[in-house]
Amino acid sequence: MDEQALIHEAQRGSLDAFNTLVLHHQDSIFNTALRILGDDDLAADATQEAFLSAFKSLSSFRGGSFKAWLMRTVTNACYDELRRQKRRPTTPLEPDTEDGEEMDSPRWLADPGLSPEQELEADELEHALQHCLDNLPMEFKTVVVMADVQGMDYSEVAIAVHVPLGTIKSRLARARLRLRECLQGFTELLPASFRLEEGSSA
Amino acid sequence: MNQRDLELLSSYLDGQLKSSDAERARLERRLSSDPNLRAVLDDLRAARGLLRQLPMRKAPRNFTLTPKMVGKNPPLPRTYPAFRFVTALATLLFFFTMGINFLAPQMASQAPAFGMGGGGAPDVYSAQEAPAVTEAPAEEPSAALAPMPTPTPAAESAPVLTALPPSAEDTARSAVETPAEKNAAPEEGLQLDQPPLPDAQPLAEVQPPVAPVWVVLLAGIALLGALVMLLMRRLAAERWRRK
Repeated sequence: MDEQALIHEAQRGSLDAFNTLVLHHQDSIFNTALRILGDDDLAADATQEAFLSAFKSLSSFRGGSFKAWLMRTVTNACYDELRRQKRRPTTPLEPDTEDGEEMDSPRWLADPGLSPEQELEADELEHALQHCLDNLPMEFKTVVVMADVQGMDYSEVAIAVHVPLGTIKSRLARARLRLRECLQGFTELLPASFRLEEGSSA
Repeated sequence: MNQRDLELLSSYLDGQLKSSDAERARLERRLSSDPNLRAVLDDLRAARGLLRQLPMRKAPRNFTLTPKMVGKNPPLPRTYPAFRFVTALATLLFFFTMGINFLAPQMASQAPAFGMGGGGAPDVYSAQEAPAVTEAPAEEPSAALAPMPTPTPAAESAPVLTALPPSAEDTARSAVETPAEKNAAPEEGLQLDQPPLPDAQPLAEVQPPVAPVWVVLLAGIALLGALVMLLMRRLAAERWRRK
């Protein structure tokens, strides 16, 4: 049964049809939550909450990309989860992010807040990346996770985040630059051939 | 490097600038002549490349929903509403027949000419003045509210029943409609002693209007229906859980 048929069945109340959709999307939804929240348990909670909320509001899905629609529910669930944990979403390292010139400043890369435990944890590239993602403002993080980690296109991300396409482009560009600058603090972790490969990765 | 250039480079990297776009041609010209711009493009590409390398983790468990999580009840068999209707009807009829059988001897003793229609009247009034109505025929409840009336004031509102002795209906009407025009009863003690009408109750001689076998039958149907409904619910819930 194709996705549209399953969605239609689920909209008529079929839990089995919806669960088939859950099984199909749960990995990408969980990974999105994981990269946004940076914690396995919180990500699992947010994923479960997202699917529950998706089932309840399935009637509001009016076609288009179901994945983007699900991403929207998981983003909301992540926000709720963060609120519940009373955790600050992220600390913008540069308060004045609207000013393009600020982006050239590498001062924030120093990252004096990294504890020895965190340093140990960051000895893998994945942890380093997650550390840099965690330091992004929430709205930047959601966009870059969907576009670059999940490989969604701009229009899908715009639906998921519910902001105009222009804002997506702007957030994505700034998020990528910030991540690149953050990762320069972990050069020893980057693959040796990375700089050679990057030229061909476009 | 301004914000506009950064966005252009990022979009260019994702192939969002069309080849026919004049902006793309302009950017490519600038890229070939501006090493700083090229460096930023490389940085953006490097960041995107690293993010794409992030391993996709498998979901730690299945996030499928259970009926309980979505607050769904197990689907009941199609015959369930029929059983519910029959059970409800049997229960209603059971209480109705019980009521009739219980009231019939009393009515018969009160007034042989008192038909079923007359018996219904107190019920109507009981909604408004429950205590006064129910107690009215047996003994006068409160002298201040409804002193023992002679049939005269009641006759104004219920002329049809004037010939009858002060029945429940009369008393009730007088209690409801004309409490204000009554004077305080001077002889409260006497009223309590006044013998109420149903002093003679030939219970044994009156045949109940509904045969007891019917009452038992209705009770049986109601009980059986309730049991079947319970069983249906249990089975449906069990089947739902096994799913």
